[in-house]
Amino acid sequence: MGLGKSIDKLDDYYDRLAQKKVGKITPDHVDKVLAKLRAKEVKLLIEIDGAAKVAKKERLTGKLAVVREQIQRGEWLHAQITENNETA
Amino acid sequence: MARKLILPLVLALLVVGFWLKPDLQEIAAGVAIFLFGMTMLEDGFKLFSGGFLERILAKATASVPRALGFGMLTTTIMQSSSLVTIITISFLSAGLITLTAGVAIIFGANIGTTTGAWLVAGFGLKVDIAAYAMPMLAISIVLVFQSSKYMRGAGLVLAGMGFLFLGIHYMKEGFDAFQTQFDLNRFALPGLLGLVVYTLIGAGMTVVMQSSHATMVIIITALAAGQIGYENALALAIGSNIGTTITAILGAIGANYQGRRLALAHLVFNVFTAAVALAFIVPLVSIVNFLGTALGIAPDDYALKLAVFHTIFNVLGVSLMLPFLWRLITFLKRRIPEPAKDISTPIYLSDATDDFPEVAEEALRKELGHLMHNAEEVIAQGLNLNMPRLLQTSDIAATVEESTKAFPVDFDIAYDQRVKPLHAAIVEFASRMGLGDKDTPEDIMHRIHDLRAGAGRIVRAVKAVKHLRRNTTRYTETNHGTTTVLYNAIRADIARMLVEMDKIRNEDSESRSALWLDEERVQAKRSYKDAIHVTEALIRDGSLTAAEATSILNDSQYGYEALKDMIEACKTLHAETKTGLEEVERILALEEDEADEMAMDRRQRDA
Repeated sequence: MGLGKSIDKLDDYYDRLAQKKVGKITPDHVDKVLAKLRAKEVKLLIEIDGAAKVAKKERLTGKLAVVREQIQRGEWLHAQITENNETA
Repeated sequence: MARKLILPLVLALLVVGFWLKPDLQEIAAGVAIFLFGMTMLEDGFKLFSGGFLERILAKATASVPRALGFGMLTTTIMQSSSLVTIITISFLSAGLITLTAGVAIIFGANIGTTTGAWLVAGFGLKVDIAAYAMPMLAISIVLVFQSSKYMRGAGLVLAGMGFLFLGIHYMKEGFDAFQTQFDLNRFALPGLLGLVVYTLIGAGMTVVMQSSHATMVIIITALAAGQIGYENALALAIGSNIGTTITAILGAIGANYQGRRLALAHLVFNVFTAAVALAFIVPLVSIVNFLGTALGIAPDDYALKLAVFHTIFNVLGVSLMLPFLWRLITFLKRRIPEPAKDISTPIYLSDATDDFPEVAEEALRKELGHLMHNAEEVIAQGLNLNMPRLLQTSDIAATVEESTKAFPVDFDIAYDQRVKPLHAAIVEFASRMGLGDKDTPEDIMHRIHDLRAGAGRIVRAVKAVKHLRRNTTRYTETNHGTTTVLYNAIRADIARMLVEMDKIRNEDSESRSALWLDEERVQAKRSYKDAIHVTEALIRDGSLTAAEATSILNDSQYGYEALKDMIEACKTLHAETKTGLEEVERILALEEDEADEMAMDRRQRDA
């Protein structure tokens, strides 16, 4: 799946930041959102472990894939923001 | 009728007064300039709302002492207990602070407002404040014409203070000139009669001017000019405390039951304080004399002594009322009970939040949550599902299969009573916030627009379920084989979403994330694709008639539309609003085509 449209949205964010239309993102902001996603990942893993029906397991596994995709994007965003803040 | 007569009566009195005593014009102009200054001061501070004021107020309500201190401090800075009262009513109406915190702020504001008397008596009468007023006004006008909202706010505050100073100056000049021709002291009334009559006059003056601060300034300047006696001035000051309750009462007219409770608290507190002050006027005067001597106030400086008296009786009132704060809260709750939960009536939206965009946004968000909660019940009942059972079960699919009895609900009536009125109120409120005169910040306006769109999505979801209801009931009341299985699958998908919505609502706001709902988007898309795929396969092998297949395909579409709208509305409701976090969520969120792609990926892997 990769980073999808996140790259475009980050570029758009920087444009709006330059125009002072939006507040600055700090690595702490990304950390906070990542923590919520990781908490969800843990919850889903526990639910998958306790699921008796195959259909339910499949559904939860599908959800796990989405949250992992978002975590991956979050880690990428964290690196981008940190790098940008250091060079700025 | 009486209200209609007030305006012509006041105007007539002014005209007659000006004709009889031209020097009265200077006093009246001073009062007018002073009140104009108060209005500018309030308008200036309001421009700092939309973040600044709200953040401070929200932080200051964690405990009773903090709320009390906050009321004192803000009223001292803003020199307007009315503005603090109105802001507090708006916060309370929006459900952002507790009634106890609101009452404590009002108590604090009553002490804070006494600083005004000190400023006038200690500074305004002893210094040529008009000399300060002129440069303040000149500088303020430069700031008022700046594009920055906060610069304009600072300009209005400065101009307001300039006009306050100028108003005091004219009142002082007017009373001095007036003294040479007319001695108001002739109307001095000694004893109990004087106390009662002048208390009523003080209350009346404050009701007319809507400002106890202005009344106090008039009393002090008149007292300093020797136009009224000290005893009568004390009674006027007590009366001003009663008259000022009218501001809170007027502010509470557009507020909900909580705002009305606060206005009643204000009235109870001020009437009680005034009664105590009147009953113990003699010992209070002795205390004032004692403190006056201790503070080095000259025995004949009655203006400063009045300021001491004003402070003492307000502090005394707070000291006497604080131990009974919980009883007062109980009394208020009993006197103005929470209206019976009429689920069709907005709970959080009220006119009281209009002037404070951030509070209005929060009220709108809470109302959207209220609408969503109602809609969840309507949707569940529309699909013949019992919401409490769904929330308790560990196997939603099994619970849905067991739910075969049609609910005896009229879906149209349920929609008209529980969804439509709230949606209409949200649309009306959001539109009002969008009016140019509200000066709502762009980011808040954008979120208000999203919340309004979220309400629209909830309505669409309910309407989609309405389309589903007839066939769902038909095919799930009795067993129709494969068709029943497919309809139960549609119901189960919606039921799972209803349970997820409830879970996310009950999650701590600091822990939940709207991004979690992207999982539901992918899942909804996948279920929809599965339903189409299975239905087509069943048509091909002859398990479904063309009529049944058409119904299932149409209703799967309705089910998917309902799910999509529920998810998007839920995302809007729980989206981050804090700077930085809002943007992070936006960047990480899956776009619709990305959710489609993920759903397809899984289908292909499963195949």
